[in-house]
Amino acid sequence: MNCKKSHGFMVTVAVAALFALCLAPLSAQASWPAKGKSIQLWIGYAAGSGTDAGARLMAAGLEKELGVSIVPMNKPGASSQIMYSELAKAKGDGYVFGTINFPSAVVSYIDPDRKATYTKKNFDLLALHIVDPGIIAVLPNSPYKTLSDLVAAAKANPRKVTITTSGIQSDEHFALLQLQEMTGAQFAFVHFSQGAAAAIAPFLGGKVDAYTGNVADVIAQYKAGQVRILGVMDDVRSRFYPEVPTFEEQGFKLYNSANRGYAVPAGTPKAIVDKLSAAMKKVMESPEHMKQVEDMGLTLRYLNSEQYSKFWDDYAETVKRLLPLSKE
Amino acid sequence: MESFSNLLMGFSVALQPGNLLLAFLGSALGTLIGVLPGIGPSAGAAILIPLTFQMDPTGAIIMLTALFYGTQYGGTITSVLLNVPGEAASAITCLDGYELAKQGKAGTALSLAAIGSFIGGLFATICLVLAAAPLTKMALQFGPVESFALLTVGLSLVMGLAGKSMVKALMMGVLGLLLSMVGLDPVRGMPRFTFGRLELMEGLDFVPVIMGIFGLAEVLANAEEGFGEITLAKMSSLFPSRSDLKRSVKPIIRGSLIGTGLGLIPGMTGSAASFLSYITEKKSSKTPEKFGTGMVEGVVGPETANNAHANGALIPLFTLGIPSSPTVAVIMGAFMMHGLVPGPFLFTEHPDIAWGVIASFVIGNIILLILNLPLIRIWVKILKIPYGLLFAVILGFMVLGAFSVNNSVFDIMIMLGFGLFAFFMKKMDFPMAPLILTLILGPQMERALRQSLEISQGSFSIFIETPLSAILFVLAVIILIAPAFKSLRKRKEKVSGEGA
Repeated sequence: MNCKKSHGFMVTVAVAALFALCLAPLSAQASWPAKGKSIQLWIGYAAGSGTDAGARLMAAGLEKELGVSIVPMNKPGASSQIMYSELAKAKGDGYVFGTINFPSAVVSYIDPDRKATYTKKNFDLLALHIVDPGIIAVLPNSPYKTLSDLVAAAKANPRKVTITTSGIQSDEHFALLQLQEMTGAQFAFVHFSQGAAAAIAPFLGGKVDAYTGNVADVIAQYKAGQVRILGVMDDVRSRFYPEVPTFEEQGFKLYNSANRGYAVPAGTPKAIVDKLSAAMKKVMESPEHMKQVEDMGLTLRYLNSEQYSKFWDDYAETVKRLLPLSKE
Repeated sequence: MESFSNLLMGFSVALQPGNLLLAFLGSALGTLIGVLPGIGPSAGAAILIPLTFQMDPTGAIIMLTALFYGTQYGGTITSVLLNVPGEAASAITCLDGYELAKQGKAGTALSLAAIGSFIGGLFATICLVLAAAPLTKMALQFGPVESFALLTVGLSLVMGLAGKSMVKALMMGVLGLLLSMVGLDPVRGMPRFTFGRLELMEGLDFVPVIMGIFGLAEVLANAEEGFGEITLAKMSSLFPSRSDLKRSVKPIIRGSLIGTGLGLIPGMTGSAASFLSYITEKKSSKTPEKFGTGMVEGVVGPETANNAHANGALIPLFTLGIPSSPTVAVIMGAFMMHGLVPGPFLFTEHPDIAWGVIASFVIGNIILLILNLPLIRIWVKILKIPYGLLFAVILGFMVLGAFSVNNSVFDIMIMLGFGLFAFFMKKMDFPMAPLILTLILGPQMERALRQSLEISQGSFSIFIETPLSAILFVLAVIILIAPAFKSLRKRKEKVSGEGA
C-alpha cells in the first residue's frame, strides 16, 4: 500500500525533474518564480525535527506569498553538513533554497576536522527566520540565586561547577566558552550530544549543578516551578519568561541563540534573492505564522540578506576565536 | 491505582482511530509474517521499520509491537494445519497440534491456542503495568553514572544471547561495539572511522544495519534452503467442546506464568518458553504417554507461553531500556529512530507514548483474537504464493525501505553489505544478536561513561561512590561470572562421575 504510494511519489518527482530540466533555460529571472514551477526547500534535519517544523511553516507561507508550490525535502545527516554540501553545488536559479542552522553551518567549515567542501562564500543568505535564545537554569533549591553567584562559584572553584551543553560545539557550548572568556570562570562541561532534551532529566534529578539550553527547552518545567532560570542570552527579555532578566541586564554582554534561516546557492541573481527575502518577511508578519511559531516556544526575528550576512560574519569571528578552546 | 489511571489515559491514546488502525495493521502483518515460514518476527519487524518512519512515534511503536506479538498467533496456524512451524516458538505446537488436525480437530486446536495466547498476552501486559509504576518513580535517580551502570548490566547479558559458542558471541559483541564507535566523537567532536564519508559522521544508522542483518540475511538463507510441497489438513468447527475448554484452564495459567517469567530474562527466546511449557504440561499430566498423539494441553500451554513471552519480553525494554531478544532490539531501534530512549524516563517524559503503547497491547491482543479465528482460511491461502515471487517482492521492498530512511543510496549499500555479512557469518554459526545489542547500547554507554567522567572530572571512583551504580556493577559481575561457576561445577561432577 505504502509501497505504491511512494512509487507514485517517485514518478511525480521524476516527471517534475524532467519538466524542470526542459524549462530551466527559458526561465528569465524577471519572471521568477515561473508559474507552474515548484521551488525546493532543502531541510538539513529529519522530518519531525524542530528545524523541519519551522521550515515547513515557512514553506506553507511562501506558497501563498509567491503563488508557486514549495516542496520541502529532508536531507538529514552530519548535522546538516550533507545538505550544505549539496546546496553549495546546486544551481543558483532561485528554484532551490535550504535551511541554515547556527552554529552548525558556521562551525562545519571553520573546524578543519569536519572537512567541509564549502565556506560561507558558497551561499547567498536570504533571511534569518527563527531564534531561540540561550538560557542558564538551576534547580529551585540551588545555592546560586543569580548569574553572578554561579559565575563567582565557577571562578572560585575552577572546573568544579558542572553544567550541561547539548553537545560539543553546540550553541550552548560556545555561549559558555564566551562566558568563561568574559569572566575568567571555569565550568565543568557535561556534553549531552544527543541533544538538550536528554540533559533535562539528569538536571532535574540533581546530577549536575546547572543547565544550559534554549528558551523553548524548559517552558513546561518553568511553569511547574521545577527550575529557576538565571538569565536569557538576548538583548531583550523573552516573552516566555518576562520575569527573567537578560544576561545584559546582569552585566554580561553575552548574546547567543540557536537560530535558523535560509540560503540559496551562491550566484543566484540578486533580484531573486531580494524577492524571496521580502516574501519571507511578509510570511513572518502574518498573524497566523506568528502564532504557530510562538506555540512552539520560539521567537521570530527577521534579518534581511545583508544583516544576516553581517550576523554570520560576527558569529564566525567568535567561533574562530573559541574553536581551539572548544576542543580542549 | 495510579498506574491504572495512567493506563486509562493510555487507552485514550491507543483508541484514537489512527492508532487503532495501526494496531490492526500491525496485528495483521504480524499474523502474516507468523504464517509465512522462513520470515521470523525479527526479520519482519526489521523489514517493516522504514514503513513507520513517517508515522508519529506512538503509532509507529504500536504497529511494530503488534507485529511482534502478532507473529506468535500466526505461527500457530501453520504448525497446526501444515505441520510446518511458521515461527520457531510454535515449533513444539506441531507435535500435538498437527495430530489434532489429523483427527479433524484443527479448529479446536486453533481457537484454544488463540484464547490461550490472548490470556497470556494480557497477563504479561498487566505485569508490565504493575512493574512500570515503581520504576518510573526512580527515573530521576538515573543520571549518567547510574545509566552507565545499568547499561553495563545490559551488556553483560550478551552472555545470555550467546547461543552455542561464547567466544563467537563475544567476538560479535566486540564487533558491534567497534561499529558503534563510527561517527563523531561525542565529546571531542572528532570524526572516527568515517573514511571521509559524510554519511558516516553521525554513525551507522542502525535501521539499515538491522534490516540487513535480520531481514536480508534471513531471506537469503531461506531462499537457499527452499521449501517443499505444502499439504493442508482439513479444518473443522472452531468451537471447542466444554471438556476441551476445561482441560485448557490450567495449561493457560501455567503458560502465562512461564512465558512472562522467561520474557523477563534476557536471552530466553519464545521457543524456550513454549518448550518449557510443553515439558511442564507433559510432566503434570496424568497421561504423559499420550502427548504427541493430539493432546489439547500440548497446544494450549506452549501457545499461551510464547505469547506471554512476547509481551513479557517488552517489560525489561519499557522499564529498563534493555532489549532481551533480537526482536525486542529491533523494536528498541524503532524507539531510538524516533528520538525516544526506552527506560524509566520514557514514562516521565512521554507518558502518552509509553502508556498508549502499553494500552495498545490489550487492544492488539483483542484484535488478534478476532482476526485469527474467522480468518484462518484466508491466512492459509497466502501460503500458496510461490516463494520465489514473495522473496523478490520483499527484497524490492527492503531496498526501497532502506533508501527511505534518510533518502540516501548509501543506506541501501549498508543494508546489502550487512545482509551479506550476516548471511555468511550465520553459516559459520556466529550469532548476530550480540552484535545488534552492542551496536545499539554502545553509543548510549559511551555517552553515559564520558558524561559521568565529565561530572567527576575524570575520576572513575564515581561509579563506586554512587550507591545505585555500585549495586548495578555488582549485579553485572555476578551475571558475568555465574556461567563460569556453573560450567566449573559441571566439569567437577563429570570428573567425579568418571571416577565412580
